[in-house]
Amino acid sequence: MSHDLARAPLASMLDRRAFLALVGAAGAATLAGGSALAAEPKRGGTLRLSALANPSSLDPATGGSGFDHCYLWTIYDTLVEWDYDTLKPKPGLAKWSFPDPKTMVLDLQPNVKFHDGAPLDAEAVKFNLDRNRQDQRSNVKADLTSVEDVVVTGPLQVTLKLKNADTALPAILSDRCGMMISPAAVKTHGAASDRNPVGAGPWKFVSWADNQKVAVTRNDNYWRKDRGFVDAIEFNIIPEQATGLRSVVAGQNDMAFALPARLKPVIQRAKELQVVSAPTLYCIQFYFNTKRKPLDDLKVRQAINFAIDRDAFVRATMAGLGEAATMTLPKSHWAWSEAASKLYPHSVDKAKQLLEEAGLGKGFELTVGSYTDQDSVRRAEVLQEQLGKAGIRLKFTRGTVAEISANFFNQGYDMLLSAWTGRPDPSMTYALGFDKGAYYNASREATDELSDLIRRSRESEDLKERAAVFDRIQQITMGQALSAPIAFQYELDALSPKVKGYKPDLLGKPKFEFVSLE
Amino acid sequence: MIRRRLLQAIPVIILATFFVFGLLKLVPGDIAVTLAGDNATDARIAEIRAMYGLDQPFLVQYGGWLLKAVQGDLSKSLLSGEAVLTSIARCLPNTMLIVVLALLLAMAIGIPLGILAASRPGGWIDGFVMSVASLGVAIPNFWLAMLLVAWLSLSMGWFPATGSVPFTENPWESLRHAILPAVALASGGVAEVARQLRSSLVEVLASQQVRTLHAKGVSPASILWKHGLKNVSVNLLTVISLLANRILAATVVVEAVFAIPGMGGLIVNAAIQRDFPVVQGVVFVMVLIVVSINLLTDVLYSVLDPRIS
Repeated sequence: MSHDLARAPLASMLDRRAFLALVGAAGAATLAGGSALAAEPKRGGTLRLSALANPSSLDPATGGSGFDHCYLWTIYDTLVEWDYDTLKPKPGLAKWSFPDPKTMVLDLQPNVKFHDGAPLDAEAVKFNLDRNRQDQRSNVKADLTSVEDVVVTGPLQVTLKLKNADTALPAILSDRCGMMISPAAVKTHGAASDRNPVGAGPWKFVSWADNQKVAVTRNDNYWRKDRGFVDAIEFNIIPEQATGLRSVVAGQNDMAFALPARLKPVIQRAKELQVVSAPTLYCIQFYFNTKRKPLDDLKVRQAINFAIDRDAFVRATMAGLGEAATMTLPKSHWAWSEAASKLYPHSVDKAKQLLEEAGLGKGFELTVGSYTDQDSVRRAEVLQEQLGKAGIRLKFTRGTVAEISANFFNQGYDMLLSAWTGRPDPSMTYALGFDKGAYYNASREATDELSDLIRRSRESEDLKERAAVFDRIQQITMGQALSAPIAFQYELDALSPKVKGYKPDLLGKPKFEFVSLE
Repeated sequence: MIRRRLLQAIPVIILATFFVFGLLKLVPGDIAVTLAGDNATDARIAEIRAMYGLDQPFLVQYGGWLLKAVQGDLSKSLLSGEAVLTSIARCLPNTMLIVVLALLLAMAIGIPLGILAASRPGGWIDGFVMSVASLGVAIPNFWLAMLLVAWLSLSMGWFPATGSVPFTENPWESLRHAILPAVALASGGVAEVARQLRSSLVEVLASQQVRTLHAKGVSPASILWKHGLKNVSVNLLTVISLLANRILAATVVVEAVFAIPGMGGLIVNAAIQRDFPVVQGVVFVMVLIVVSINLLTDVLYSVLDPRIS
């Protein structure tokens, strides 16, 4: 991949497909499904990564941080996988089918073994799914509430009996819930499985020193030969992202990922580095507490949505590396709703008029929770200015993520300026963020219609039918202005020239299965 | 004396850890929310609180920690499950290496500069040294650290930009990694040692005792080295021991710039996420170190000046 080609998307803002086409044209990348566009990638070498956070746990069931996935994908294979560009589920360790709406059948790949040599069979899958559903330490119980029972119906077949139709399950099984851990290892290690992960993925766990390094090494018995090219991966944990990038510039690491847009000029100055940038589901947004005055008034919430100049926000805070968000899904997503996207064109006059009608024409103040990092402060300043033009004064309280988010979701502020990290299935986003009683819905309230639609969004397997339900959901969440999505942040990565075949994904949680080193 | 001072350290450690524990519990923010993760529900958060005893009264939580700590068990990180003692055993050598190196640098450069300046007070050397020293105090060490990385690592490629290597594994690489952070930490120290040494030395050299020595015909070199320095050594020791504690504190920022997995990073991460066993463990060890430095200083006082007992 030549440097100019790699950088071209940044300059011209081509979309993901165009970018990948370019990469393909350069003839140096292995693309989706390992299709042989180029010669077989070179095997061997140690991929050294700068990673920005310590894992919360290396056991998929007990962890909680969205950043864990980049570690977990290396050690664990998932029952279901997704397409990198669209997140459409496709078979992984298992093929799935729904013989009737309340039954899901998983047929497993034969001859797959965990790193400890134990077979990955139907019993092992049942053990994992039951553990995810019921174990006290499981953090993913909420993902599997629709499952009534898991039954072994053959040596390589598992049948899930469902309480209600749930077509989000394939996507759910492409995430933490579908990562298969060795039952023997869980039984041996107990709670210590967090630090002794045994999966069936392309790499085996070697070591984890907190806030310093996680190391994995090749699993020679991996069942697929078209991926897992590097011999070992070292994640060097560097929380300060500018420092992480410097380690790549200095040649101490091969790649830094999930960088903030403000570092784009630094990458470009280091002429030999490759830049990769691509859309993700990471959505920067205002969360509203619709129970608090004056946000209990629809007109006020709508006014805020009208007053935000999303395109200007992308230019000012993301160096253009983002997409204006008109809902919690980006335009390239299969469930994006055209009708919802047209609801709030930027208009200060419209915002003022709505506030006038709400009796707040003279201006008013809103309390907002936000974080202390550099990027959050910059975002807050831009939004303060934009909403100020409509007479809305934002009063920020800043602190750590732990402090501020806990405070907001326990009724501490009117709004929260934060982000929603993507989920493999859009229904997860709406169930976790907007449904009745959901933790990320600060008011904990939702109309029956919305709750019913969220449930119905999981009834059909047909994406067109599902998209039609999501269209209605988005028209409600945006029509009722239950939040104010602002912008999707693009992934930004810096790679040394010897890194080949890296492919970003829409979820924004990188996999390294196709990466090779020259 | 040593035993008495060691006994005095016990209430200091208890007070410090109690105070920090109290602060962590007073500020809003809840580790249970972090632990519940991206898919948090109200029920899950409550379940986690009960599982980790986070719903217990403040004193019960602190007492439980203290009871284990006095038995040598600093418990485990709530977030990652790593034993706190393991984290500290790994991070402390990295931090101590740059602290000791910085202290040695501060003395190796600061002391000659101070003597040079004091030997001709008011002269151009004095003026020059003192301006450089002012600059050293004024420059923030994180800024200097970034300049050093940009220049000596990224442009010249002489030193690694980030990370650390254990000294026992490869002493040469270990020092190469530690030198830039140590320089950044030492800059303020050089200035301080030089200025303090100069001012006390000037005072001693202007004293009646020194005038008498001059009158007796003692050579200026002998006056400076034998009489002058001996008289200011107690002052110097005070400066250096204070400096040691301050450099220890400054590692928090410098470690972040150089991505050194040290005590600073450990406590900052833990404090931000309210991982109190880790915070407590680090505070515990840090208090021990500071108390030891002070103790060592006191012992050295009595060596340097027998009148102090």
